Amino acid sequence: MTSSSQKLIFWTLVGISIITLSMPTIIVLGASVTSGNIIAFPPDGFSLKWYEKIAMARELRLALWRSLIVSTVCVIVSLPVGTVAGIALTRYRLKFVNLINIYLLLPFTVPLIGSGIGMMLVFGEWGILGNVWPVGVACAVINLPFVIWSVSSSAAALDRDLELAAENCGAGRMETFWYVTLPAVMPGVITGGLLMFVLAMTEFLVSLLLTDARTVTLPVQIYNNIRSIITPDLAAISVVFVVIALIAVWLLDRLVGLEIFLKSK
Amino acid sequence: MNNPTVDRTRFRYPLRWRVMDSLEEGASLIWPRSLSRHTGWLLLAPALLLVGILVLGLVQIAESSLHTLDTSTYLPSENYTGENYLTIVESATYLRILWRSLLGAALTVVFTLLLAFPYAYILVRTSSALVRKGLLVILFLPFFIGQVVRAYGWLIILGNSGAVNEVLGLVGVEPIRLLFNYPAVIFGLVQYMLPFAVLLLAPALTAIPQEIETAAGSLGANWLQSLWYVVLPMAKPGLIGAGLVVATLSLTDFAMPAMLGGGSQDFIANAIYDQFFRTANQGLGSALALVLVAIGSLIVGLVFMIFGAGTLGMGAKK
Repeated sequence: MTSSSQKLIFWTLVGISIITLSMPTIIVLGASVTSGNIIAFPPDGFSLKWYEKIAMARELRLALWRSLIVSTVCVIVSLPVGTVAGIALTRYRLKFVNLINIYLLLPFTVPLIGSGIGMMLVFGEWGILGNVWPVGVACAVINLPFVIWSVSSSAAALDRDLELAAENCGAGRMETFWYVTLPAVMPGVITGGLLMFVLAMTEFLVSLLLTDARTVTLPVQIYNNIRSIITPDLAAISVVFVVIALIAVWLLDRLVGLEIFLKSK
Repeated sequence: MNNPTVDRTRFRYPLRWRVMDSLEEGASLIWPRSLSRHTGWLLLAPALLLVGILVLGLVQIAESSLHTLDTSTYLPSENYTGENYLTIVESATYLRILWRSLLGAALTVVFTLLLAFPYAYILVRTSSALVRKGLLVILFLPFFIGQVVRAYGWLIILGNSGAVNEVLGLVGVEPIRLLFNYPAVIFGLVQYMLPFAVLLLAPALTAIPQEIETAAGSLGANWLQSLWYVVLPMAKPGLIGAGLVVATLSLTDFAMPAMLGGGSQDFIANAIYDQFFRTANQGLGSALALVLVAIGSLIVGLVFMIFGAGTLGMGAKK
């Protein structure tokens, strides 16, 4: 960028974006340490009493625990499934590959409210509604393309000759897969797993549809509490999500580097 | 007399080899090499089955949309009928909600792309690694924090006794109702979509060599001209991809209209939810859901037909 007017305009817009993106996080962090009983500006003073309060609040703690279960189930289901699918899409010649692509993108093209209600009806039919684990399966379904995407981009970078060389040296199919293919796609698997965990943790709409009072996950719990009243204890529990997001961003940066998302395909 | 030579029978075959060999044998048993032409399909099968749950769900919705609610028994009717769809088409309420959602999606696309383009541009073009890292972190954090917590943050900021109104109060301005109106919902959608849009745009901008812009400049184009005639046309796949994702996601969003619209600014998703959980009219809700799926697919299909898939193609790049 050489022109100063371009710089000015672009940075003004970027400034607006930065404020819009960061404000809620900063405010939530600030509100969580207020000593007042309601959220006010400027804050009444510093206190950690709301953290104490949420540590005591059984329903919030249970909701957090259920969200962790949902995320774990989601990763356990989606990661192996998405990994082999990603490998299949890049390493094998398949017929109807365009049709498969359209089919596997359904979780993204079908609106979440549609997939959520559909799965609610299906799970209801199967008699598994009212458990926590189906929510994890549902999260695995709706975010599956993320894993397939990240694994297939890693798999595309693997030289086919390496697998052939392994087989030439006497490795069987399982050995080739375990010692050559899998390590090569590992960056994609880790990125995918991380994405799936965090997205399932923060997933809202599908959880709202699939949970009842006994199985609410944390985002749904926060949503329900907001509807009644806005108090600082919600800000304190929201900090859980900020911390998880910070860890996720840090891990993602350490493992694959955030810059990878800027690469052109 | 002890024999010093190595006792060959005592050689331990490493455990790893044995595990691998038995895995190999197991694999040959379950999936003999003669089937290896179909290995690709075998690997794909679990994903096809998992997405199958979703397809099954759509079938269920379709089935249930063909039954009307019997108001005397509160059970779905036995016979098949298209009445629910008729109700939607004839209802002024649903047409208004539909129009509100479509307009909302269009506005969100415009504003999001307006903010996302310079963000992605600077992200890609900046020479400072620190600036790039900072912008990336600022982008990813909200993406991972999630919709509900971010909307909650905005409720605190924009509320009647929130930060913005406090600041306005200091300069003597009466509190303004910033929440629970249409602009609040659009704003909520824009800030929610921004990371998606930037992440879809950035790769497309990376693909444009900086030299081309320099060349345009050296041929006498000012930055607006080179932006308009060079960068934007070359970034078209990214703009289409980002615009499409933003459009479909905001058209079908539930949380922002519910939380920042306060029930008065419902989008289609909210109407569907209400039919299922407030009115318990599963048939009408299902019909609405199918209409939404159809509109979404129609938009995607139209854009793909006119502009191509943009940056959204998956997997098949060999």
